[in-house]
Amino acid sequence: MSGALPSGSPGTITFAEGLVRFHSAEGVHACPPGDAPWTWDARRGWWVAEAQHYPKLQIQLNEDPGQNGILDEVPKWKEVHFSKLELPPLHSYQSAAIAAWKAAGHRGVLALPTGSGKTVVALSIMAEAGCSTLVVVPLLALMHQWWERIRQHLGYEAGVIGDRQFCYRPICVTTYESACLRMERLGALFKLIVFDECHHLPGRVRGDAARLCAAPWRLGLTATPDLPAGRSEEVGALIGPVCYRLAVADLEGDTLAEYEVQKLSVDLTTDERARYDELGRLIRDYIAERRRDDPKFEWQDLQSAEVKDARARAVVRAQRERQAIEDRAEGKLEVLEHLLGKHPQIPTLIFTGSNRMARTVALRFLIPCLLDHCGKSERRDILGGLRERRYHAVVANQVFDEGLDFPSAKVAVVLGGQSSPRQAQQRLGRILRPAHGQTAILYEVFCRDTGEVQRSRARRHTDAYARSRHSRILRR
Amino acid sequence: MLTRDHAIREFSGGKVHPDRLTVKRHPRYPALAAAMMRAYRTGAGRTRQELHQAIEKAFAEEDDCPPKRIRAFCKILDDYSEFDTAPKAWQTRREVLRHAAPMHPLARASGNVFQRDEKAAKQEIAAALARPWPEIERDYFADTPGQHRLRAFAGPKEPAALLSLYNLAQTQVALFDAERLTLELTSGYKAALRAIKFSRLVHDITRVAPGHYRVEIDGPVSVIRETSRYGASMARLLPVLVRLRGWKLCAVIKARGWRGRLALELSPETGLKAPPGAAPEFDSATEEKFFEKWGPEPRDGWTCHREGEILHRGQKVFFPDFIFRHADGRKASLEIIGFWTPEYLRAKRETLQHFAGERLALAVRDATKADFSDLGFPIFPYRETLQPKAVLAWLEKL
Repeated sequence: MSGALPSGSPGTITFAEGLVRFHSAEGVHACPPGDAPWTWDARRGWWVAEAQHYPKLQIQLNEDPGQNGILDEVPKWKEVHFSKLELPPLHSYQSAAIAAWKAAGHRGVLALPTGSGKTVVALSIMAEAGCSTLVVVPLLALMHQWWERIRQHLGYEAGVIGDRQFCYRPICVTTYESACLRMERLGALFKLIVFDECHHLPGRVRGDAARLCAAPWRLGLTATPDLPAGRSEEVGALIGPVCYRLAVADLEGDTLAEYEVQKLSVDLTTDERARYDELGRLIRDYIAERRRDDPKFEWQDLQSAEVKDARARAVVRAQRERQAIEDRAEGKLEVLEHLLGKHPQIPTLIFTGSNRMARTVALRFLIPCLLDHCGKSERRDILGGLRERRYHAVVANQVFDEGLDFPSAKVAVVLGGQSSPRQAQQRLGRILRPAHGQTAILYEVFCRDTGEVQRSRARRHTDAYARSRHSRILRR
Repeated sequence: MLTRDHAIREFSGGKVHPDRLTVKRHPRYPALAAAMMRAYRTGAGRTRQELHQAIEKAFAEEDDCPPKRIRAFCKILDDYSEFDTAPKAWQTRREVLRHAAPMHPLARASGNVFQRDEKAAKQEIAAALARPWPEIERDYFADTPGQHRLRAFAGPKEPAALLSLYNLAQTQVALFDAERLTLELTSGYKAALRAIKFSRLVHDITRVAPGHYRVEIDGPVSVIRETSRYGASMARLLPVLVRLRGWKLCAVIKARGWRGRLALELSPETGLKAPPGAAPEFDSATEEKFFEKWGPEPRDGWTCHREGEILHRGQKVFFPDFIFRHADGRKASLEIIGFWTPEYLRAKRETLQHFAGERLALAVRDATKADFSDLGFPIFPYRETLQPKAVLAWLEKL
């Protein structure tokens, strides 16, 4: 590949192994084009930069006549013609989102709430672009869902990379897992790359999916633009900044079903409460004791104390046990029993704060349980069963946090979980899918007089929870 | 193998010091190791979760113990254990759900008209499945990792051996972040070179002096990218090295959240011990198959030897897969080139160029993807398996 170039040639840029290479007869003395962070690879005798810098480079090569003559052999993408487009008419906010993305230079993130038709937005962009496109999604189940939507709306049978298949076509769907492994070879085959649920992208390994890719057009889709500090910059650098943003409240009654949030509080049983308070005392005593030596000692300092102090580890364990008591409180199961009886005919999704609670619920009520290590056939059976109304309820932990389609689910029960706004939004998104204008209900069940109260408040601070109706169930 | 989440290491003086348990500095650890092994040896039938709780309990009174260390020990013990992964549990669930779905929703308290009594429903299902309900309940989620039950433990028998395993494992994890390593070999180099060959690491071997080889193992694809998978391959070399006498390894480590580079230096003086059992095998199925097909007996006077000889040209070194020796003294070698990464192929090409004129043939899988035809060596293309027949025809003409 490093064949000799005719002397006097200004050089060539090519794509290989996730990098763009600049070859020139002048070797290290050559001046590589544009302002990409070029590195001289002395071993091989050419300049290299990560492929993610190619889009800028391409623009600079086109604009600066002084660099004319440099051969750009990076693009290996094709034009694609869709013969049978069947896209639904766009809502005004969808058209606005597309326009914003184009105005931002065909790159950037669209932040649209779950259920607002993100997929349709992306498909419209793909239809208009008419070029090789790779769609990257977080889960296999979503990959198959995308494949189906591309066939349905663009009349195109996409290639599949992942799920033990490798079938390349100019339009391809893949998972983040496969994309980061294979991008070093695929990176120049697509002009447009779509990152679905693009908050999955940051990270050293997964980021490779974008870093090693030369695609000049990049589209990120997410319902949760509020990433932890540092992460949104990372997404911005890899895909482009958020160029369009819509909040749940902007959509209510328009595209989404009406929804209502009910908060239900339960009491711990006498035994649970006794243990809960005992553990609390143990923790307080330890902290108080440490503070006598070091008045600044904080809960966060426990982590460093754990390394050399068996008691600190016991305190951390005690805290975990307290959370487990809240998480698996008997009262929550009683409330759930009540709710399942109240909506016997309505498909219900139940979210727990741990796999263990999910299994407890599954065994008590004999309903299917979706855990992240579920095999393919079990997952298919559960999701299919729910759609066909063979199953009326399903319980899950984290695995539901992604955009699997449950068009029929109308009741959700949150029995516990993290307080991050992102999880709350995605969980709520499950039941916000529009269907027959029915009202959806989200029940949030938490233990009174425990740490859960604070977490529940934090959840409410996301805008989807802004209006919530309170009710209270008395323990029998 | 441990993962980065288990890594405990210190950085000082420009060096990486992986967590190291010695009897001198950690006098209570032999007893702790004995307690941990006892839990696993007598733990058949217990779930992984219960076993891990037992390990955590063994450390309950120990001050000198980061939580990561406990998790690392659990991982090492698990790696030497056989668990019942209950692949049929899903079938049990499907059966139960099939019966239970029409009875939904179940209720423990006297429910409303829609609800069925939980106890009665479960009895009914147990009868339909002809198994007692407690047994169904016990196996219902037996396929979730925490619920896997221990079948047998095949780990070390001596507490010291477990601590050695831990020390080796922590050093391996430290190598995950290696950018480049330089290995000096002065004895037992055949085993090491063989392992390097099959590890698919991009490397360059030179002979410093007779019996002294230097192997430079390269960063994977480019000078600017880090790949953790590659680091893992590097780590797998370590169990091979610790079995040798004369070796020294210097790794350049780029730790996350740490500016600049750090060094990790290892040699027999480091005192790392080989894990029990054979050295880890790298994938070399094509070579095995060919060797088996050829058989131990001479074919037309030619005997086949695996990695029998190291070829030298000046400082350059080449270690072919097979050497063929004829009774009359004729000799030739064969190298099998499976389709690996472009970088690996490029490095191989470079080495082979130095050996022009050698009596060497190349067996190349999928010759369209890796063209070696310009090097002047005879080429045997193959797809799945390489047949001895073609090689023999070539040997006959020598």
